[in-house]
Amino acid sequence: MSTSTNTYNPTPKTHVNRTLIKVWNYKWIYLMLLPVMAFYIVYRYIPMYGVTIAFKDYNVFKGVMGSPWCGLEVFKKILTNKNFWLAIRNTLVLNFLTLLSSFPLTIIVSLMLNEITGAGFKKVTQSVLYLPHFISWVVVAGIATNLFAQQGGTVNNMLNAMGVSSLPFLSDNKWWIFTYVVCNVWKEIGWGTIIYLAALTGVDESLYEAAHLDGATKMQRLIYITIPSIKSVIVTMLILQISKMMTIGLDAPLLLGNKKVIGVSEVISTYTYRLGIESAKYSDSTAIGLFQSVINIIILLAADKFAKVIGEDGII
Amino acid sequence: MAVVQKKKFPVGQVVNYGLLTLLAFVCLYPFLNVISYSLSGYNAVLSGRVTFYPIDFNVDAYKQILGKTQIWNAMRTTVTVTLIGTALSLILTIFAAYGLSRKDLPGRKLLTGMILFTMYFGGGMIPTFLVVKGTGLYDTLGALFIPQAVNVFNFIVMRTFFLNLPESLEEAARIDGASYMKVLIKIVLPLSLSIIATIGLFYAVGYWNTYFDALLYIQNPDKYTLQLRLRSLLFGEELNNSNANLEGMGTQVMTQSLKMATVAVSTVPILIVYPWLQKYFVKGVMVGSVKG
Repeated sequence: MSTSTNTYNPTPKTHVNRTLIKVWNYKWIYLMLLPVMAFYIVYRYIPMYGVTIAFKDYNVFKGVMGSPWCGLEVFKKILTNKNFWLAIRNTLVLNFLTLLSSFPLTIIVSLMLNEITGAGFKKVTQSVLYLPHFISWVVVAGIATNLFAQQGGTVNNMLNAMGVSSLPFLSDNKWWIFTYVVCNVWKEIGWGTIIYLAALTGVDESLYEAAHLDGATKMQRLIYITIPSIKSVIVTMLILQISKMMTIGLDAPLLLGNKKVIGVSEVISTYTYRLGIESAKYSDSTAIGLFQSVINIIILLAADKFAKVIGEDGII
Repeated sequence: MAVVQKKKFPVGQVVNYGLLTLLAFVCLYPFLNVISYSLSGYNAVLSGRVTFYPIDFNVDAYKQILGKTQIWNAMRTTVTVTLIGTALSLILTIFAAYGLSRKDLPGRKLLTGMILFTMYFGGGMIPTFLVVKGTGLYDTLGALFIPQAVNVFNFIVMRTFFLNLPESLEEAARIDGASYMKVLIKIVLPLSLSIIATIGLFYAVGYWNTYFDALLYIQNPDKYTLQLRLRSLLFGEELNNSNANLEGMGTQVMTQSLKMATVAVSTVPILIVYPWLQKYFVKGVMVGSVKG
């Protein structure tokens, strides 16, 4: 095949010809790729062009192309809107607190699972821990409402039985944040262990044996062998998570939230949704989305750079 | 671990087993709670006596919920979307991953780059909404799977898997004159069943659980998916969204038992499929995450 390129220099013409022959040979492959690329162009790249409405005074009748440009008017409007900054603050608070609890817990659970010697127990536990990941947010929110309701919620019933008065898990700002974090951790903690468990299976067994001969305790082995062995995965995951700080799913805050806690549950995604779909302010909503995307890319590039500086693999 | 322990009471191990059992219980308890509520009597629920098991056992809630045509319609819609969507997604993802795992395909870098770029930048909610509307999918079930047909992460996992298959097998078949399509069907796919099961599960669960797309694109209550129907049954008007106004049942007050029976009914299909497929997906996810 292309090994012959080492022996002689093809003139540009024969090079083009050979590429064309290759393309022809791959015609069925291109045919397979055609619907895929069509999908990406129509549903991913055309919407990217659509972000131009963030710089336009969008008019439903004139469409994306026909609406008049208005420069940075829309951005000026949203950047001076206090609700916009509130949504950003809420997004960061919820993401940060979720990360703060789920990140260490996931690692601890992975290490605990890794210490289990009984294959059957390990398998069953893993299966059970992964399960919540596959449950929809509608269901999770439904269950959470039943568990955490102030009147007749199971958790409050238990608290009452222990002589503690009911807590406003869903209707007080601070408690709602707590509930949100708990639901997120519950849903994703097991699933998050997969990547660490994969890394842990790669740790060199002979290191443990050597340490054992030297009389190291289990704890010492954990601290001096296991954790350093998965350090790079931990760092990569942390950077990856931090780079997603400005991104938040819409389902969880929208479904768990309610009017009483809107001051902390209104995040960027729900704000864009309400503004764009419910109030039909297409330009404003798009501008917020674009602002978020740009910030995301900046954080991502910075995180990637940081990872490389400290000697880890990049994340892009 | 392979290291032999000295004979003494393994306190650490016992604590570890204990804590993990507790954690597993915490993961399962909400489901247990749902089942207990759904099978308990009205008064037992109202007086807050239900915690770990049903009290005044009865299946009235299930009789009631399974008698509602809206639930059956929503179930049928969701099953349709899940089946068609998963099939379409799998075919396209396999095509993309197989095609772009040909190492000397002209244009491979550009096409792969185009796909990967969409992970980092996108048009966002409204521009995508306008394109979905513009392509005539608004308020059709197609809006629930066509605009989400290929997931970049799943594509990466699948392509990594194909790249790791031994090249010699395929080359032998190619020399014997088999077409790429034939190689894909006769050689590559039979070797890739575990990854196909994994990715298939991810897509299927994604479609089954789709809430936001349905909220955005489905207007007609007759086309409500299970998650939308569930939302309106569980939370009624509370969510204050435009779709809820068209609700027939939204305002009706439901008992806790009925709500929890609805939750159980809509989750059971996942619980049935899950144990069969879970042995595959851990391996599948590791392949993707390690090399991704």
